[in-house]
Amino acid sequence: MNRHVPSLFGRLIGLIALVLAGGLVVLGWASWIYARIAADEAYDRLLVGAALQIAESVATEPGRITVDPPISAFETLAMAVSDRVFYRVADPAGDTLTGQADLGTARRGGRPRREPSIVDDNYRGFPVRIATLGRYVTGPDVAGWVEVTVAQTIDARLDLARDLTLKAMLLVLGISGVAMLAVVVAVRQGLRPLGRVEAVLAARDPKDLSPLEIETPREVRPLIGAINHFLRRLSERIGGMERFVADAAHQIRTPLTALSAQVELLSSEQRAERRRAQIARVRERTDQLGRLTNQLLSHAMVIHRREVVPLEPVDLVAITRAALAETVPLSLDREVRIGFESTRATMSILGDRVSIREAISNLIHNAIRHGAPGHLAASLTEEAGGFLIRIEDDGPGIPPARWSEVVLPFVRGAENETQADGSGLGLAIAADVAVAHGGRLGFARSAEGRFGVELWFKRLPERDEGGTE
Amino acid sequence: MTRHALAVLTLLATVVPATGADVTTVFPAPGGERQVLRLYTATDLEAFEPLIHGFQKIAPEVTIRYTEGVTNTVFDKARKDCAAGRGESDLVITSSVDHLVVLANEGCALAHRSPETAAAPGWTRWRDEVFGFTLEPAVIVYNRALVPADEVPHTRADLISLMREKPVRYSGRIGSYDIGLSGIGYLFAAFDGRNALIYGRLIEGFGRMKLVTRCCTSDLIHEIGEGKIAIGYNLLGSYAYAARRKGAPIGIVVPRDYVLALSRGAMIPAQAPNPAAARRFLDFLFSPAGQTIIREEAFFFDFSGRLPEGVEGPALPVEAGIVRPIVIGPSLLPVQDRAKRARFLEEWRRSIEPASESAQ
Repeated sequence: MNRHVPSLFGRLIGLIALVLAGGLVVLGWASWIYARIAADEAYDRLLVGAALQIAESVATEPGRITVDPPISAFETLAMAVSDRVFYRVADPAGDTLTGQADLGTARRGGRPRREPSIVDDNYRGFPVRIATLGRYVTGPDVAGWVEVTVAQTIDARLDLARDLTLKAMLLVLGISGVAMLAVVVAVRQGLRPLGRVEAVLAARDPKDLSPLEIETPREVRPLIGAINHFLRRLSERIGGMERFVADAAHQIRTPLTALSAQVELLSSEQRAERRRAQIARVRERTDQLGRLTNQLLSHAMVIHRREVVPLEPVDLVAITRAALAETVPLSLDREVRIGFESTRATMSILGDRVSIREAISNLIHNAIRHGAPGHLAASLTEEAGGFLIRIEDDGPGIPPARWSEVVLPFVRGAENETQADGSGLGLAIAADVAVAHGGRLGFARSAEGRFGVELWFKRLPERDEGGTE
Repeated sequence: MTRHALAVLTLLATVVPATGADVTTVFPAPGGERQVLRLYTATDLEAFEPLIHGFQKIAPEVTIRYTEGVTNTVFDKARKDCAAGRGESDLVITSSVDHLVVLANEGCALAHRSPETAAAPGWTRWRDEVFGFTLEPAVIVYNRALVPADEVPHTRADLISLMREKPVRYSGRIGSYDIGLSGIGYLFAAFDGRNALIYGRLIEGFGRMKLVTRCCTSDLIHEIGEGKIAIGYNLLGSYAYAARRKGAPIGIVVPRDYVLALSRGAMIPAQAPNPAAARRFLDFLFSPAGQTIIREEAFFFDFSGRLPEGVEGPALPVEAGIVRPIVIGPSLLPVQDRAKRARFLEEWRRSIEPASESAQ
């Protein structure tokens, strides 16, 4: 978080600074162009004014045309303090009356005109602005257009344009500076809620997983939501783990204490017959402890897989059949009829094969251990857009009043607590698996009075329908 | 102007006659020559020499070759050098600043910018290429013995009245420049000419009085001192004051109506062989030490406008409006305009000629 906040700030500021800099360049260019035009307009007036004054001084005398460039015309041009001035006055024949004979004209073709023409040009290597205008003179023996051309270097124009541009740019820079400052303040202000979230998280006790409660703007709410969601899940998982560890410790400690006492007894027992009986009891206790451990591990495994294993299409019929074959011992102390039926050859769902088989195995296991004096049946049917696996036996079952609590870990289905070989985890595992797959675990008693435990799973939509059509 | 060369001959090591009227005087570096500064000037050496010695005090390793010509030869040579891309002078100094403006306008000058040059008034500088380093008024000079105190003209109107009222006394005794020969005379006349009414009456009076015209300030002052001429009009105040200091019996009047003021100009040619030395010399001219020499030994007037002792007339602060400075800049370009000059000279001759003695 600490590394993220400045980079977000930097990126925003950088981007805006880039946009402002781009604007600055464009504005600078535009104001330079504008300033050049303005400077040309201003100084062109002086240039044309000077040309007019010179043209005014043209006069005719018998046999010739005279010109007397007035000092005032050049004083006008001297407003552009440092600029060179060149001029030429040409008689109607085009011969130079006075001035620089090699100075070109601003007129592009045609006859001389009274209206001034103005162009940019080069004279003797100096960039100049040239104005040309004509004056028609008539005398006793001469008549025609006298043309006056005045050229001036462009230093003063460039100076003025630079000055105007600089001032415009100073203004633009000032405004950009203010804008940049405002942006910095605004972005800082905008990112402050994130800083607050950071501060609250940093100041938090590591054990405190309660949801964050901070006043934040609308834009930051989803982040708070996501953090709170994550906190809730973390809290749930940690809670579950803590509960599990406590329960498991408690569950394992009791049989271990009993076992230890029995082993104590055994070591002090001299009579062979009693000894044998006690060894049998120790073995029984050990078996029970082993089963308990297995189931604790398998519960832990189911919980673990629920979080990490990706779901894949699996066939419930095959899994149930395999679980049945695996779980029912080859030899039982009684005669039990085993049944299996399915309304379809395959029933595909999206799930974790290992977890589902563990759930079904546990149900079958419970049926054999707690019920099933003579009958155990697994049936698979389609129901409510999914598949229902029912493990049924002809034992006493669980009274409906306790159905809701027996799915909790370590709550035994039988009333009799001394019936020591049940771990109380089988149903809890099955229920966890069902919930993890978006299904459910339920209990039912059939018309014949047989008790059944049911697992319902949602069917795999596309695959299944694609298959039937 | 050339007469001083003879006086200098005996004092100095080498005199090399250059083309025509040009005379070159060499001032060897007092501290052993390591470089040479070539000055090409239209300024009396007598006036300029204190500045040369002043400069060699701070730059003892510089030998100075001082070539003196008249304004027009200086202009022509500088222009030819520029056109040919030849570099034979490091600094051109002339009172005809209009020449320097024409040269700078054509790109024949090097720019120089320094705190020293920037300290001078803005109107004396153009493009940082042409620098005016003095403030020399155009004055009326008279022979104290020939002109009674109550007849000394203090304005142009006084002079016009005097010519009208005492035609016999002053006929052939009033002198001024031959503006066809003297660059400075033409420049002053051109600026006087802007005041058409007074100017017209003035040259009309000159015509009636058979104006004595001479090429050069020193000739006129010399003749006024000798009593050949009673009143000289529009003469360079600096040269007149130098003569007065040396004992010439002359009075100097700064006109009260308006005073034309010239700033003697300097320019570094574009092809100057040693522009660094030229820049150093320019900075010296504008330094307090240089300006002190200009005021006390060389030209006696400076930018302060204070009048030297014995000169009659108002002080010369340019701001007061009485002084009309010949601003160094493009407004001097038409002064050298071929057509304008021809017209102006023609008009001047027409007014002066009928009774002119046509000296030289």
